[in-house]
Amino acid sequence: MIKFVNVVKRFGTRTVLNGISFELKEGEILFILGTSGTGKSVTLKCIVGLLRPDEGEIWIDGEEVTRLSEEEYFPVRKKCGMVFQHPALFDSLTIYENVAFGLRRHTHMSEDEIWSAVRQSLSLVHLEGIENKMPAEISYGMQKRVSLARTVALGPKVLLFDEPTTGLDPVTTNAVNHLIFSLSRELKTTSIVVSHDMHCALDIADRIIVLDKGRIVEDGAPEDLKKSQHPLVREFLAEVV
Amino acid sequence: MIDAIGTHLIRGTLVAGAFLNLVAQTLIGVFLPPYRYKDVVRQFYFVANQSVFIIVFCVCFAAGVTIIESSFHMKLVIQNDSMVPGFAAMLILRELGSVVMALLVTSRVGAGYAAEIGSMQVTEQVDALRMLGIDPVRFLVVPRFIACVLAGFVLAIIANLVCLYGAMLVSTWKLGYTAGGFVTAMRTFVKFQDLVFASIKGAAFGAVIPLFSSFFGFRCRAGAEGVGLATTNSVVATSIAIIVIDFVLSFVFSYFY
Repeated sequence: MIKFVNVVKRFGTRTVLNGISFELKEGEILFILGTSGTGKSVTLKCIVGLLRPDEGEIWIDGEEVTRLSEEEYFPVRKKCGMVFQHPALFDSLTIYENVAFGLRRHTHMSEDEIWSAVRQSLSLVHLEGIENKMPAEISYGMQKRVSLARTVALGPKVLLFDEPTTGLDPVTTNAVNHLIFSLSRELKTTSIVVSHDMHCALDIADRIIVLDKGRIVEDGAPEDLKKSQHPLVREFLAEVV
Repeated sequence: MIDAIGTHLIRGTLVAGAFLNLVAQTLIGVFLPPYRYKDVVRQFYFVANQSVFIIVFCVCFAAGVTIIESSFHMKLVIQNDSMVPGFAAMLILRELGSVVMALLVTSRVGAGYAAEIGSMQVTEQVDALRMLGIDPVRFLVVPRFIACVLAGFVLAIIANLVCLYGAMLVSTWKLGYTAGGFVTAMRTFVKFQDLVFASIKGAAFGAVIPLFSSFFGFRCRAGAEGVGLATTNSVVATSIAIIVIDFVLSFVFSYFY
């Protein structure tokens, strides 16, 4: 479904991704863990073309996307929904308009169909009755869930989550993590979650990759990772124990 | 030393290239669908209607200063201020009205645009637009560009006419002119084409405001400091661009007088 082949990404003289390669099968939930600044978010943004790699190849659904133009990239982005680190809701639009935004532009749905699609997406994230509120009127955790609803409304095949639980309280964090799991299974999507949360990764991931200084230092199922002797992985595991 | 100069040159060239790319994308976006009429109208209201009071207020004072200073210096040099209405009107129409209007719009609208787009960039709303298949330039910059060009054109006419009216009031109150005498004296120096050229200048100044504001907004770095810096840079760059464009257009228009 998604394949990275020796991907390198530099910002000026700083190499953020230093030749990473991995392959993700359809329907898998992959967690990418690592300390701040190791290239986790850059990896996600490279998948959807918001950043372009300097070297290497990225394949999505059997298509090499590395050198596609901005226009050519859009069909690829339609397959991938991304939940950003920030909720990234459009401040001037209501919750309903935010979720309907993509549907209005990329489907031929009538207003009634859009209304029911929006309500369905909001109910998937357990948020009903807030359609007419503005983003500033709801909590940060709710904004993140609306962002997730906006993403799933377009029916993507791949869901990308960039630190979905950063800044949330433990209860909401738990709820969002279980939402990621249930949505991925319910909608049969392939999911990549960038996170610092080893506890959650061990709980819901099919596979975990640990990045350090732009390189993959560990790649395997949660059970394999528990046996890792890599110091960084041990540090992450120590947090859970 | 040479390395540092080389690095700055390369960086400057890349920045200039990125800006020209934004200008080209915006100009192309103006002529290609989808046309976002509602956004253009909303932006026009924000730029023109909400700026008009502050512009009228400021140009009235600028007109007063122009008349009083012109009179003082003419009396000093040629012991006669009979040519004040003509000279003042020429100065207002050729320079003052449009430039003061543009600098005021820059500080009000340009700073607002840079902060708004900068915040959108920092909070990943611009990336969210791209993820939803929407070109941020077409969505954010083009409606603001069209609105600012139209508003610049209209506001320049309003600013110049109000400025002339203010000059006339000050002349009648301070220099003892009658309204008719002021207009007669003024018309020996200025023509209708001066107002046309002033409004063309206004439209050109209006065009650069959203371009620089959006450019710095899109390049905004994370944090409150980043947004502040983007806003400051956009106001400084736009103000410089207005002065330079004013010179270029004045030079070009001088062939038509």
